[in-house]
Amino acid sequence: MKRQSVIPLSTDDAPPVVVEMVYQMKIKDVMTTEVITAKQHDTLRSVQQLMRARSITGVPIVEGRRLIGIVSVDDILNALDKGYIEDEIEAHMSRNVMVLEEDMPLSFAIQYYEKYSYGRFPVLDRNRELSGIITSRDIIVALLIKLDEEFEKLEQQIGKQPLEFQGTLRQQFATRRYDFEHAGRSSTQIKKILKERKIDSKTVRRAAVAAYELEMNQVLHSNGGTISLQLSRGAITILADDVGPGIANVDNALEEGFSTATDWIRSLGFGAGMGLPNARRVSDEFTIHSSPQGTHVMVIIYLKDDQLKEDQGEDTGTGNAT
Amino acid sequence: MRERVRMHLSDVVAPLEADVLFAGSAYEEDDITTVVVSDLMSDVLVIEDTDFLLVSSLASEQVIRTADIVGALGVLLVNGKNPPQNMLSLAESLDQSLLRTRYSSFHACRILARLLFPDHEVKS
Repeated sequence: MKRQSVIPLSTDDAPPVVVEMVYQMKIKDVMTTEVITAKQHDTLRSVQQLMRARSITGVPIVEGRRLIGIVSVDDILNALDKGYIEDEIEAHMSRNVMVLEEDMPLSFAIQYYEKYSYGRFPVLDRNRELSGIITSRDIIVALLIKLDEEFEKLEQQIGKQPLEFQGTLRQQFATRRYDFEHAGRSSTQIKKILKERKIDSKTVRRAAVAAYELEMNQVLHSNGGTISLQLSRGAITILADDVGPGIANVDNALEEGFSTATDWIRSLGFGAGMGLPNARRVSDEFTIHSSPQGTHVMVIIYLKDDQLKEDQGEDTGTGNAT
Repeated sequence: MRERVRMHLSDVVAPLEADVLFAGSAYEEDDITTVVVSDLMSDVLVIEDTDFLLVSSLASEQVIRTADIVGALGVLLVNGKNPPQNMLSLAESLDQSLLRTRYSSFHACRILARLLFPDHEVKS
């Protein structure tokens, strides 16, 4: 049976993005550089107090910047148990310390946690001097930050490559709560895509207004979500799906002028209570479902036959063959 | 109401004593159809006109985005508002002309009304 590692991340058969991440990140990017240390002639009692005061479970013992041992919370428990807590550290510290080097990839640290049961590993620089310490907490925090960055990059890449098949175009954009700086980007993109397809400007404007209203609603009132565009022969469909907290009263929200916006939202030029009514106004079909798990809005704007001019050409030539 | 006078954004700069912060491709090309004055973008999104000049004292990116979404010709910032850098960059990337005048909304609109509808008489 495979042993459960402290960090449940396989460095071998994880997705390539993750493998690349743990190989590209260096220990020095992840470790804590302000290391709390003690000297060999300090007492174990002083280490115990240090651990309690700083909420740590291991203290490297140094001579200058050279690492000579480590005292863990286990060593302190033993000392208390056997009555030598007032002794100097030197006689009781662990001298055989498992260390990492700061230029190693992060994958080494993850493998160490699989191999050894220590809670932390001191990190040495090129001169073999103590330069930091790494804990599983450091690794988890660094991985989460990195994951966030990587996902953002992936999302942007997805945004750049419209998925197209059988004359249908689908594209999805993410929105984030209170991310006012990026709010409206999806709608700007949607407008651009539709314009490039040579759809008439009035129809493009209706779709852009609907997308923008729905996007602003997500940014200002939801915990984030997605705005999707589907473009087929007959219609433009805009879907807005968020992850909550839902609209308390959908009928009220569809009433012109009804608003739950705060002064802050109003100071940004929004929150007049016109968002959903306006999105409905420009739609041919409008449906909304809302629960605490999320709000889902679908706007459909019909295209007349001549509005979507095929620029691929592959469908137009054979379409009438039958 | 009398005929509106054909006028480009470039024609209103001098009377408004405006700074041209960015001149987009419509700046000297397209006619101003009308003027929309609002600090509430929600209200601008409801308007059906296009090719209008949006007059606002709100200096934010969303003003430019809104102008782009509804197909406005450009934006006039009143009260000498200083646009943040991201607003300027967005105006450039969305090709939205951006002007600024030190006049208030009221005064700027009075000037614009005289320019666009010189024969128009205010009826009470």
